[in-house]
Amino acid sequence: MSINLKRLLRRNETVLLVAIIIFSLIIGSRSTEFFTVANLFDILRSSFVQLIFALGVLIVIVSGGIDVSFPIVGIFAGYAAVVIMQKFELNSESLFIPILLAILIGVLLGGVNAVAIAGFGIPTLIATLGTAGVFRGVMLSFVGASFISDIPIALDEFSTADLIKFESESGFLVRLHVLVIPVAIITIFVHLLLTRTIFGRSVYSLGGGVEATRRLGISVKRTQIKIYLLVGGLSGLAGILYVSLQRKANPYDLAGSELDVIAAVVLGGASIMGGYGTVFGTVLGVLFINMIKNNLILLGVSSSWQRAAVGILLVIGITIQAIGENKRNKARRALTEAEGD
Amino acid sequence: MSNPLQRFTTAGLLSDRKVTQLMVFAVLVFTIFSYISSDIFYTRENFSSMAYQVPEVAILSIAVMLSMLTGGIDLSIVGISNAAALVAAYILTKNMTEEGAITNSWILIACAAGIAMGLICGLINSVLIAILNITPILATLATMTLFNGIAIGITNGVSISSLPEQFVRIGTGTFYGIPSPFVVMVLIAIFAGFIINRTGLGLKVFLIGTNRKAAQYSVMGDRRVVAWTYLISGFLSSLAGLLIAARVSAASPDFGNSYILLAIVVVVLGGVNPMGGFGTVTGVVLATIVLQMVASGFNALRFSQFLYLAAQGGVLVLVMMLNVILDRIRTARSISKSLGA
Repeated sequence: MSINLKRLLRRNETVLLVAIIIFSLIIGSRSTEFFTVANLFDILRSSFVQLIFALGVLIVIVSGGIDVSFPIVGIFAGYAAVVIMQKFELNSESLFIPILLAILIGVLLGGVNAVAIAGFGIPTLIATLGTAGVFRGVMLSFVGASFISDIPIALDEFSTADLIKFESESGFLVRLHVLVIPVAIITIFVHLLLTRTIFGRSVYSLGGGVEATRRLGISVKRTQIKIYLLVGGLSGLAGILYVSLQRKANPYDLAGSELDVIAAVVLGGASIMGGYGTVFGTVLGVLFINMIKNNLILLGVSSSWQRAAVGILLVIGITIQAIGENKRNKARRALTEAEGD
Repeated sequence: MSNPLQRFTTAGLLSDRKVTQLMVFAVLVFTIFSYISSDIFYTRENFSSMAYQVPEVAILSIAVMLSMLTGGIDLSIVGISNAAALVAAYILTKNMTEEGAITNSWILIACAAGIAMGLICGLINSVLIAILNITPILATLATMTLFNGIAIGITNGVSISSLPEQFVRIGTGTFYGIPSPFVVMVLIAIFAGFIINRTGLGLKVFLIGTNRKAAQYSVMGDRRVVAWTYLISGFLSSLAGLLIAARVSAASPDFGNSYILLAIVVVVLGGVNPMGGFGTVTGVVLATIVLQMVASGFNALRFSQFLYLAAQGGVLVLVMMLNVILDRIRTARSISKSLGA
């Protein structure tokens, strides 16, 4: 039992959970607005899109890759879906047509990544940097470069579809968006996919070592193709949800947000070298980053320091992880040396 | 082999297949654009404006190349160059008179402070990567966010403009008829070429990039070498930042965000192996010139900047694909040759 407790304390998720609690207490002691249901729901609402992106990034990072094209894929899919809806005058009352379109476009763009990465073995960072440039350039020069504010009615209405809605004692409207249910389902689905299926195990194994995976009889290429298609689909979904929640389709949005998402996944304990990472950690990472970003103002820090705060958190997070890793390596080396004697 | 011409070609510039390819490519691009757009592209003004724009990209690319030679990558170059430019611009604007006059010693102090800023940022990268053993992609991703965030926080996202005349002359003036930034670039290229080809440090950089494990076992102080590369990379980035500030007479935390992608495209196009161990300064400078010609050509033909973005990404992916294909052909040929013999 005592060993289990020690192991539990050492886990990244535990550290993160403790950090979240400590930060909550600090912010809560400075401001009474923090510990309110409204604030909690706000943090949740701002986390939805990021969480879906983050789940995709988690899968890529666990497999030992890194994807920087997902926000572009997302906004491409979301924007293009809206453009297609308008051009072909599809039923704007339907919520499923644009979402389906966006997921399809996302899968298609993910397929381009898959060809570059699985087909040609280009390092993932370089391949996705390149495709991100291509996707963005193609979207802005061929799909459209102007801001669309009259998005289809169903998408527009969806942004105010609330699951819970009541007035707090101070007369403040407290709302919980209905998206909380599908996002939770997707999160659980990705968790099950990673831990309970052969595909999930091969993703972890790929992150552990490419050659070892090949010798296990797992097709590296097929696994990579599946990963990038899946991530494309998730990004497309996140993109259309972003468009819906913002109630406008702006092709210049989301670009540059990849770092925040990668930061959340890495803070959540996923190893950038691959082979390790949990959905629970990612959820905590996303919530943590959004909690800090949303509530810096309550701490009396101006919002222009948001980016620096994310940077500092990231540096601290990876430093803690690296120190732990170095210690473990040293212990392992000492052990093997002792055995050699 | 005794033929002097053959000896020259095998020992000289042409021995490097990548550089030869690039030269052919450069001539091709030059001829095509000169032919299509002889009135705008093939003019003295266009070439002189290119000579002012090439140096900053080339210097940033050389910085990325150094880290890439060791098998790492430095994504924080643009963050560093903006931070350095802001420090210098702050000192300059604080110490100039209303009319913009300033003593030469203040300009020197401002430049020195900017370079010092670059060295500090480079040192932070070095500590994270060489001492704490954090993966370069992750460490520089974090510091990129951090440097950029601090710059935004301090300046509130507003740029510092209208720098003193004497400082601007560095970026817009000429030196014996040659644009002065171009002279700076040539000096830096010689400096970088000297370091990687003629010093022990350079040799070790290649050895680490080729095989990190072997370098570790040969006790060459691999961590110190890696630390040096990120320090030099910070130094070069700060120089590029000062040049940019001097050319546009302003410093801003948002300048040149697209330069990260551009620098990586340049480096890969220039024949540097992203896994480390191979690359030449000549290749990188040539690649910068090729890409700048493409950019100017696109401009002359009135293509949108987004199309150029797509072209950049496309070139990156295509060059990587071409390398893979050529590699496969070469391997197949050498196998069949050895089987036949």
